Amino acid sequence: MQFKPRNLELWLMVAAALLIIVVLPCLNAFAPETSWLHVGNFTINLYGKYLCYAILAISVDILWGYTGLLSLGQALFFSLGGYMMGMNLMRMIGELGQYHKPIPDFLVFLGWTRLPAFWKPFASLPFALIMAALVPGLLSAVFGFFAFRSRIRGVYFSILTQALTYAACLLFFRNSLLMGGNNGFTDFKFILGHDLRSPVTQRALFICSGVALLLVYGVCRWLTNTKFGKIQRAIRDSENRVMFSGYSTANFKLLVFVLAALIASLAGILYVPQVGIINPGEMSTEKSLEAVVWVAVGGRATLVGPILGAFTVNALKSWATRAYPDLWLILLGTMFIFVTVFLPGGMVGLPGQLLVLKRRYFSRTPKAPPAANPTPSPFVK
Amino acid sequence: MKLIFNKILGTAAMLGLLAVHAPAETVKVGILHSLSGTMAISETSLRDVLLFAFDEINKSGGVKLGGKSYTIEPVIVDGASNWPLFAEKAKQLLEQDKVATVFGCWTSVSRKSVLPVFEKDNGMLFYPVQYEGEELSKNIFYTAEAVNQQATPAVDYLLKLGKKKFYLIGTDYVYPQTTNLILYKYLLLHGIPIENIGGGFRKDDAGNVISAGKYTPFGHSDYQQIVADIKQFAASGDACVLNTVNGDSNVPLFKEIAAAGLSAADCPVVSFSLAEDELRALPTKDLVGELGCWTYFMSLPTPVNKTFLANWNGWLKTQNHSGVVKEKRAVDSPIVLSYDGVYLWKAAAEKAGSFDVDKVREVLESGAVAFNGPGGKITMQKNHHATKDVFMGETKANGQFKILETYPQVYGEPFMLKDLTAKLAQKK
Amino acid sequence: MWGAEEKSSVPFLEMNVFSKLSSVLLCGFLLHGLKAGAQEDPRLRSSLARAILSAEGEQQSILGELGESGSPVVREVLNAWVRDSLFAYDLDGIKIPVLLDDQSDAQGKVRALRVDDGQVLRDANGTELRFQTADLTAVDTDARLRGLIQQTLDAIALSDPDPNVRRSAVLKLGNSQKLKNVGVLQSRLAKEAEKTVRKSISEAVALLELGESDPSKQVAAANQLRRLGAIGSVASLQSLASRSTAPAEVRKAANSAVRAIEDHLAVVNFFGTVFRGLSLGSILLVVALGLAITFGLMGVINMAHGEMIAVGAYTCYVVQNLFGAGFGFSVNLPFHFLGHPLGFGLRLPGLNATGAWYESYFLFALPLSFLTAALAGLVLERTVIRFLYRRPLESLLATWGVSLVMQQLFRMFFGANNVQVNSPRWLLGHFSCYDVSLGYNRVFVIGFAVLIVFGTWLLLAKTPLGLLIRAVMQNRDMASCMGVRTGRVNRLTFAFGSGLAGLAGAFLSQIGNVGPGMGQDHIVNAFMTVVVGGVGSIVGTIFAAIGVGAGDQILQQLTGSPVTGKIVVLVCIIFFLQWKPGGLFSIRSRNLD
Repeated sequence: MQFKPRNLELWLMVAAALLIIVVLPCLNAFAPETSWLHVGNFTINLYGKYLCYAILAISVDILWGYTGLLSLGQALFFSLGGYMMGMNLMRMIGELGQYHKPIPDFLVFLGWTRLPAFWKPFASLPFALIMAALVPGLLSAVFGFFAFRSRIRGVYFSILTQALTYAACLLFFRNSLLMGGNNGFTDFKFILGHDLRSPVTQRALFICSGVALLLVYGVCRWLTNTKFGKIQRAIRDSENRVMFSGYSTANFKLLVFVLAALIASLAGILYVPQVGIINPGEMSTEKSLEAVVWVAVGGRATLVGPILGAFTVNALKSWATRAYPDLWLILLGTMFIFVTVFLPGGMVGLPGQLLVLKRRYFSRTPKAPPAANPTPSPFVK
Repeated sequence: MKLIFNKILGTAAMLGLLAVHAPAETVKVGILHSLSGTMAISETSLRDVLLFAFDEINKSGGVKLGGKSYTIEPVIVDGASNWPLFAEKAKQLLEQDKVATVFGCWTSVSRKSVLPVFEKDNGMLFYPVQYEGEELSKNIFYTAEAVNQQATPAVDYLLKLGKKKFYLIGTDYVYPQTTNLILYKYLLLHGIPIENIGGGFRKDDAGNVISAGKYTPFGHSDYQQIVADIKQFAASGDACVLNTVNGDSNVPLFKEIAAAGLSAADCPVVSFSLAEDELRALPTKDLVGELGCWTYFMSLPTPVNKTFLANWNGWLKTQNHSGVVKEKRAVDSPIVLSYDGVYLWKAAAEKAGSFDVDKVREVLESGAVAFNGPGGKITMQKNHHATKDVFMGETKANGQFKILETYPQVYGEPFMLKDLTAKLAQKK
Repeated sequence: MWGAEEKSSVPFLEMNVFSKLSSVLLCGFLLHGLKAGAQEDPRLRSSLARAILSAEGEQQSILGELGESGSPVVREVLNAWVRDSLFAYDLDGIKIPVLLDDQSDAQGKVRALRVDDGQVLRDANGTELRFQTADLTAVDTDARLRGLIQQTLDAIALSDPDPNVRRSAVLKLGNSQKLKNVGVLQSRLAKEAEKTVRKSISEAVALLELGESDPSKQVAAANQLRRLGAIGSVASLQSLASRSTAPAEVRKAANSAVRAIEDHLAVVNFFGTVFRGLSLGSILLVVALGLAITFGLMGVINMAHGEMIAVGAYTCYVVQNLFGAGFGFSVNLPFHFLGHPLGFGLRLPGLNATGAWYESYFLFALPLSFLTAALAGLVLERTVIRFLYRRPLESLLATWGVSLVMQQLFRMFFGANNVQVNSPRWLLGHFSCYDVSLGYNRVFVIGFAVLIVFGTWLLLAKTPLGLLIRAVMQNRDMASCMGVRTGRVNRLTFAFGSGLAGLAGAFLSQIGNVGPGMGQDHIVNAFMTVVVGGVGSIVGTIFAAIGVGAGDQILQQLTGSPVTGKIVVLVCIIFFLQWKPGGLFSIRSRNLD
């Protein structure tokens, strides 16, 4: 039996793309509400959120799965993108807030009467988008430059990114930063002049997220299949050998780190208008860890894995917080433990693992002992 | 250790099962609180009291609409102290479960996060926790204390005691920031000079004070420096502390205060987020005489309150909903205001003869819906806030409050800031 | 096992602890009240009653006498009088002054307590009389009488048995700006034995004398305040110094006093910050030491370390309850079996200890919290960690899952609320040294940190087990080849690290919250401390903890904002690690990976 995950993966992606970009929105728009085919606004909105999570998961995966850098700072870049987008959405509220003032409500709260200077250009969406690329990009470049130059790796890199996230989180909690403090930004009304509450806008955002996910998937797939991708994996497996072969590993790592930050930021940009709130809670260490878990559950060092993981874990969470409000943490926690201990390849690696088991226990004449793990195992140091 | 696997044959369990499976008409009502994460500390108690109120109503015949009686069917969801998840869960309750009303939220940010959802889907939310005001949504009813039902009466009391120096301290989020700003202006208006207001100020470019008081982040646990600062501030006597530190950060703060020997006789601390529930985790023996101001105290000697407490404790004992703790439960203002909310909604729905949000709202806004709750009479006002009694109390060694002063039937006024600013300008 | 009490198959229905507890408390209060009444001099009570009912002139003299008694009964009655909650009841033509009890019955009525003998008011047949507030008329007061009563109250406070109350009464009189109070204070000074109160009295007297009209007396008062380093008098001195009508020499004296006090304040703040930094550092150290073992030595990224801390703290809570009224829990699961809800419960009877015996619970809780957490660590190592020794980054994920599960388990067993852990008497309170107040609990934490560091060093450096631990941690395979049972050593090391976390938890229960999420507050700091110190180096952890603690306190003092201090420390750590990626004490090795 020949198992060709690559072809299967491609077909799966095409089918999923069709489903997300064409079928679901159509069912939401055109199927009558009474029909069983109808997809509710709630579902569209929920899946839109999952799509953003999937993008975030890919950004974790190209760092961790492909390059061996476990960053606990992806939630920070995600939130930074979200915050920049949020600033634009806040400006778009105009005078429709609680106070009917031309400045955002939380500034009125804090006793401001004029808009602070750095808020002004965010009235334009293109500017906000440029900043959403620039801010996380620059931060990751500067941080990465110093971190990789002094050869911080492994656990140290994780803990350092965690410290960065924690510091940023504390900073954004401060009301004096004028970024909304603990409450962050919420109560958005319009995006590009369209009412954010209308199902049409939500549908459009859903399609945008789907397209963005496909693009990110495509780019990453292309990148990992080039020579660049090979070096990436080589760094993961043995950085010193790559260095001795004459490659500047620091530069490669920096590039991947910045790219991952930009992808995470993109996820944040799409996430905020669909969810309707961004606050510093999103940059906690927990959120980064959660994203890492999606990748682990789905399957590392593959590109379908993160997408699959993000959908499964979040769907499970949405269901369990309603069905077993008291037990869902135990459920989820146990799953994480089980997956990390017994399924190093995640869901994607499961068929392979089962096959190995089958060969080991059921085939009478074992010709060659199979490898312990069919997926390349970067995890064993 | 012995695990007793337990099959409950108690009548209560049977009744509970019967209630669920009875063929009577049901109405779905949502409970939206954090049952996990950081806020679970406070919010699980609200889930419990809501279940209690529903059971109480169901046992006494349910909600009676136009000759039919409806049993309340709670839909519990966990917001997990995660604000986007709160919005998602609110959507789920309103769009999928189509609940008649929702009781929920604790933090300001969770309320802000679900507010657009409630406005979009025209839902109804009862919010039970004291908050900063400056908000009025047609879809939210605030049974909670507004600033003028808690903070300013407390300051009135302290002024009456002859306190001359006020130290402001809080957690850095909207409620303390706004409340302290209001209190700062209120104190100025009552003739307290600015140098007698401690904790520090921040000013904007034009020199206007935009933030008053000392702020700590959420979950802050090291109050050594701040308590030392307060001690120096209080060295000259007649000082007090106005404390808006959030929930469980109060524990390290007060443990530090107790250890530093800053006694209530020297410098009383009046806390706005510290109720009986939080007091249980504190060395109350060393904090006798610290002040609190709420619209309910567990020690209220009214018959309604006594019956309520007796029923509540009885119910807890027979409860077998998972996660409900049965022992050593304290009752405090948010719990009672949650409970009041259920009855206000019930009364309004019965009066409107419908569960339709618009009709119920119309009745509630008429100002004619009142409930004689454990904390006294509570009447919903046209502005979605409630008129109720305000009590000033001091802590006793048993973790309860001794009531010092009652301000009867105070009208809830959410917008104070603008008014105070205008008055201050006038005074100058 | 330990006297587990199996009540019956339906233990939930019998739990009535809440109401029992409240009735116990209630009894306690009533007894307390009666006892106070019994010890009281009956003469005091009768003269109180006389004062209330007599005419104006007589009242003044009786109140004067009462002021010297310092009795709490007098204080309570007078306080009620000023607040219009002292009532006169007409019992068969005789007016009897009464106070109303706190506890009301189902009809909202309360008992009345007679002022003259402290007993419950009864009618001629001996039945208790009960009232509502509206049924009675309050005893009249007017402005002059209230002034008199207030004076009496102040005098009573001056002779209160609690030195804190005396001190605050002194402060109040000192700030009154009424020179006539000098006499009152000086007469008290003659009787006062407590040092701190004596100092406050001298301060108050000097402060009052600043208001004298004689410049030489003012100068003397200012000099006195300077000598005393009276922090509370800065404002008054400043206003005197800037008063243009005051004579030049007075202003000069006031100015120099202000400068001297401010210098004194700077010194106090400096030493205060050093002490606070040390104490915060010790807490960090206690929290991080366990991690320095499990993470630093073993390389396991244990995200459940925080929950091990919580295990220790909850053990403390359970032990405290076992010394008190007992401990019980019940867990219901949202599943049904044949229509019956599933659940389990446990009740352990308490020792109902009191006094010093009860206070000593903490001493028993300390070793127990170490053992419980070590046990939990052992279980964790056996079930999860041992699969992940060669995959350190994955141990991070799995233990995070463990931490989620454990948090929810805490919620199920102990409730989602924080629980109350009382501090023993000997850990409460503080002593002042040169105006720097040192809390006993803080001093204890510092001492304790020193102790467990010493213990850890002893174990690692001086015992055979320590030798094995070091061998296995340096090279697991080589040690295994040499015949060391690495599995067993791993187990013991992890259990030891977890046990240290449990000890930390027992400590944190004295300072902060005990709740399901308490571990999360410490985990980031703990990791940071270990990394800054240098992974694998216990000495590094010690220096890092104290450095980070002191840095935090100094920056907090400088910036005036706790958050800014924290952020700056974090940023400094990030930069520090760029400069020294291996931490303070990195272990040098030729190994590249």
